[in-house]
Amino acid sequence: MSDDNGVRVIKAPDTLSRKVIKGGPGAVDPAALERAEAVIAGMADSYLDWVEEDLVKIQGACDELKANKDKPKAFLDKVFGIAHDMKGQGGSFNYDLMTILGNDLCRFIESIDDMTDPDLEVIVLYIDTMKIVISQRMSGDGGEEGRKILSGLDLVFKKLTRKD
Amino acid sequence: MSDFDIVTTKVLIVEDNLHFRTLIRTILQALGVETVEEARDGAEALDVLTSFDADLAIIDWKMDGLDGLECVRRIRSEEDSSNRYLPIIMVTGYTEDSLAREARDVGVNDFLSKPISARSLMSRIISVLENEQEFIETESYFGPDRRRLQAKYNGDERRVSKSALAEKEGGVA
Repeated sequence: MSDDNGVRVIKAPDTLSRKVIKGGPGAVDPAALERAEAVIAGMADSYLDWVEEDLVKIQGACDELKANKDKPKAFLDKVFGIAHDMKGQGGSFNYDLMTILGNDLCRFIESIDDMTDPDLEVIVLYIDTMKIVISQRMSGDGGEEGRKILSGLDLVFKKLTRKD
Repeated sequence: MSDFDIVTTKVLIVEDNLHFRTLIRTILQALGVETVEEARDGAEALDVLTSFDADLAIIDWKMDGLDGLECVRRIRSEEDSSNRYLPIIMVTGYTEDSLAREARDVGVNDFLSKPISARSLMSRIISVLENEQEFIETESYFGPDRRRLQAKYNGDERRVSKSALAEKEGGVA
């Protein structure tokens, strides 16, 4: 079917729904979902191995960035990519602080036009904070320590990025 | 959440990060899916699709090599595409509206925001299932009807921020 504006409406084949049974023997009911969530929770040790690898990678990228302050673009992109992955994984394994820190680091890098020394210090600060979160196994929101870390980070961030 | 049995569904995961691929595969298997294939980027996905008759693809947006957007664009628009109607869920850490519009405009069916969980992935699969869409073909677009996705996306979660958490906890942003 096509209208006067050249828009054709097509009924898509229902290949997916033909494969799915409502209430079948493998139905994903609330109990099945709970079991699936428990499987992910059981991967926490794997996550800690993965994130340790990511921390080594992001530190390496940051070292490269420090060594190439005059041409930082490619190295900022590298730090951004690793932080973006860390952001995406943290919350899946109940490390919400890692998601928050990864997200904020990405947003900060996006805001950089010409990288300054204080900008670099902020990046280092975020990476060091992520290391603390993992080394101290600060899962969830990190409780009181988590709040202190975020507010301390915020204070230093404001100091470093103050434009006067 | 509806009690769907998705055991026989064949799913393609397209993700360049090994850890994410492992996570998504583990969730799918925990939800009962028996047939899962993986591709490390968009180019590999297009190759896999020539021999793997997927019922659903879960594609990451930001990948080294051929990224998610370009992969979806090619699945939808290339004449020799093996499955132009393939239901596609795009996984993304980006939730800005402008980026969502970009993904919508290449023909994704739905979005899944990182970090993901079994619950969030299953809810997106159900959403795709329950919204078997009419496809639209114009000179510049081939894909699901974009109006529903845009309306839905506008109501979805926004990115988490340090200040939002502090606010939620009653602290100082």
